[in-house]
Amino acid sequence: MTGGQPTATSNTTATPALEVTGLRKVYPSRKGGQVVAVDGLTFQVRPGEVVGLLGPNGAGKTTAMQLALSLLDPDAGEARLFGQHPELLQVRRRVGYAPDAPLFPRKLTGLQLLALHAELLGFPRRDARQRAERFAEQVGFADPARRPAGTYSRGEAQRLGLALALLGDPDLVLLDEPTAGLDPAGVAAMRELLVSLRARGAAVLLNSHLLSEVERVCDRVLFLKEGRLLRTHEVRAGGRRVEVRLVNPAQIAGPLAQAIPGGTLEGDRFRVPVASEDAVPALVRQLVAAGAGILEVRLAGAELEQLYLQIVEGRA
Amino acid sequence: MISWPVARAAAREKLRSPAILAIGLCFAAAAALGGRAGAPREAFGGFGIPFLVVLTLALGAGLLAGELESGHAQLVLLRPITRAAWVGGRLAGAGIALAAIVVAAWLAAAGGAALRGGEALSLSAFAVVPLAVLWGFAWLSVLAAIGAVLPGWTNAAALVLAAIAWATLRGTLPAALGHPEWTAWLAELSNYLGPQDPLQLAFRPREGLGAALYDLSWVFFAWLVAVLLFNRRELARRRA
Repeated sequence: MTGGQPTATSNTTATPALEVTGLRKVYPSRKGGQVVAVDGLTFQVRPGEVVGLLGPNGAGKTTAMQLALSLLDPDAGEARLFGQHPELLQVRRRVGYAPDAPLFPRKLTGLQLLALHAELLGFPRRDARQRAERFAEQVGFADPARRPAGTYSRGEAQRLGLALALLGDPDLVLLDEPTAGLDPAGVAAMRELLVSLRARGAAVLLNSHLLSEVERVCDRVLFLKEGRLLRTHEVRAGGRRVEVRLVNPAQIAGPLAQAIPGGTLEGDRFRVPVASEDAVPALVRQLVAAGAGILEVRLAGAELEQLYLQIVEGRA
Repeated sequence: MISWPVARAAAREKLRSPAILAIGLCFAAAAALGGRAGAPREAFGGFGIPFLVVLTLALGAGLLAGELESGHAQLVLLRPITRAAWVGGRLAGAGIALAAIVVAAWLAAAGGAALRGGEALSLSAFAVVPLAVLWGFAWLSVLAAIGAVLPGWTNAAALVLAAIAWATLRGTLPAALGHPEWTAWLAELSNYLGPQDPLQLAFRPREGLGAALYDLSWVFFAWLVAVLLFNRRELARRRA
């Protein structure tokens, strides 16, 4: 874990998939003043890395993404994708973006929209249609994709946005609140998707309020507030923590302290740091062997939540 | 200059709009019932104009702004496509929808006239169709240029208001200022403040050819202005 750094960089030497330097964006406010949405933001996302953006509403997370993609013009600083200007056509071919609460032309079906985007990516018409069907299926969207977009629920629109973002097998994916409006199965599918993106070497910048999901999939988290980068947190380097809710904490406090010395027991919660989620089954077996009655096992979440409250909200 | 996938999608979207379909149906119905026996060409050229104006306004309203405001334009323009090609594609899509409806209305006019014992369909009578489409397309390109800076459907409202303001000025200014000789001068100027009527090519070839060429260049320059204005815009919706 690292802390207190004003910038977030990685020590590998490959060209960053995304690099923003000193980005600043000021909006005129409705009351006649100005709102600094992003202020001196500097960070990188490298190939094969999943980076999360965390912060309260209005922290500048969405604006940061839009500046990175050149959808907004910065007042200062610059963004580069794969070392080049974001508006270059060859760069855009390698980028996927799923905005928060996307809206689509109401009369076109999801499949027609996917085919349109596939054609824009350079696929011939026939291949574009086939690709559209394949990606609609991949994000669990095959049936709604045949209906006009005007009939979609928020979750369905979110899935279509995601399918559009992934359509060109991008090397860099920016996801703005991708789990908003998704059902639990959709959230789980999203997690798997992020893991598979990382596995094939894609860089991902993720903006999400779901701290547990962020902690599970991200390599690094950037804490933003009022447009500024407050701190970066290396999730992988810091390992994970498992929280177990026990039925009989008083009876097994002694055996637990002996069997798992790294854990701490507070009330009915037993917390243990683990290297990765692969260690969880063995830990549960150890707990059962020590005589623990288990009500619930939770991986991560709490640590990032505490950090979030500490860094962003300023709570002890 | 034109993205054809964008054009096809825009045409599909427009042709599925209930408002546009309703205007198209009224256009075709009036054409079928109102075509004078023996003269589908003249009849279409006469009563078709008001429908063509309404249809053009409906197709051009929010042609660019609608996509921008929904956020879909952001996604499209993150693909390897230039803004000029996107503007061209949207414009071409609306033009395809316009052409489809005008052809349907003309067929209805010719069919109606033939049923009442008029002249049979002929290729020369069909000449009115591309001319009507060219005229409407030229106005669509004006709407696109205005829509590159105005929100929602206000581009169509602004064009209607400008036309009313100009007509009022033209009608009242010479008399109000005591210069009745200005009337002819203002009428001449009017010909150059927007696309001209190439439909006259079907009846008066010399004047009509000039108008048709003028409209073609108008389409190009209006598209150019639309692209220049649109290039200055930020694509994302502002949040603050």
